[in-house]
Amino acid sequence: MKHLFFTSLFVLFTFFSFSQKKTTTSATINFDATTSIDKLPKAENKTVVAAIHTKKGTVQFEATIKNFTFSNPRIQEHFNSKGWMSSDEFPTAVFNGTITNISAINFRKNGTYTAQVEGDLTIHGKTQKIKTVATFVISEDEINSSCDFGIQLADYGIDSPAVGAGKVARDPKISVKATFDN
Amino acid sequence: MFYHKKFLRKKPLVFSALVLLTGVSVIVYYFTLKFEDSASLKPDYNVDVTPFISEFSENQIASNKKYTEKIIALTGRISTLEQADTTVNVKFVDSLTGSYLICAFQQQHVGETSALQTGDSVTIKGSCSGGIYSNILETNAIFFKRCMLEKKY
Repeated sequence: MKHLFFTSLFVLFTFFSFSQKKTTTSATINFDATTSIDKLPKAENKTVVAAIHTKKGTVQFEATIKNFTFSNPRIQEHFNSKGWMSSDEFPTAVFNGTITNISAINFRKNGTYTAQVEGDLTIHGKTQKIKTVATFVISEDEINSSCDFGIQLADYGIDSPAVGAGKVARDPKISVKATFDN
Repeated sequence: MFYHKKFLRKKPLVFSALVLLTGVSVIVYYFTLKFEDSASLKPDYNVDVTPFISEFSENQIASNKKYTEKIIALTGRISTLEQADTTVNVKFVDSLTGSYLICAFQQQHVGETSALQTGDSVTIKGSCSGGIYSNILETNAIFFKRCMLEKKY
């Protein structure tokens, strides 16, 4: 009887802990490196893996570089090539971070919340600290999150003649959106 | 003789005009180049989803080498339809291992997902982006882009 009680307690605890980790395999990332002379370096990845732990406040993203789609095949080829993202060598871009004001977000109460997010962003095999603000829109069924931030390509060891020629922005804008079941 | 001299005088001008025209054509071609509609592409491989996922799980390096950037027609039963911002992704999950394959649709074919439901048997054609081991989900994941619905059974 005692065993059954503790087993049930353990199962309940495990289930409760697990249910606080929300995941999706369809988060989206938009990458915009357009400049005044070239509007083509713009891509979208709609199959980003994302996770959020509503108790611990951890946030994770994992994007497969080769699944970024450009409208122009040549630009997509350049993006994946060795001088650029070197996607054969570094197949993913990864973010591991934390919501530093997690206590200000009530995932059980409908509303719009502003989250301060800090963490490590790894692109092209190089990791940099990122600090940004995310918005969480919480409803009974869903948690919708979004955030925008910029990166410096040089910080991630990405340099190509196109950047020098002003055809690709040195500081692309990144937009992330993820919807989790609540 | 007179016409020949006149032509020789104009030769550098004609040459420059030709170079300029070629340059402009290359730039126009480069900037207007677009991916073909996946509907018009012949698949490099026709596969069933479950053995395809298993092949990746057994040897990801070899599978990536074989299938990445190839056009593949996938036949299988839809496990989930997942909202991806304003569009919907089609997902096939291997229930035994949790490994999955996910298809993001090409812009002009996005509407085709509205006719789909979980459990539908379909053939979807798209470009394979290869597979990874997801550290977040602790499972294998295979990605497809520029997909279109070829057939619903």
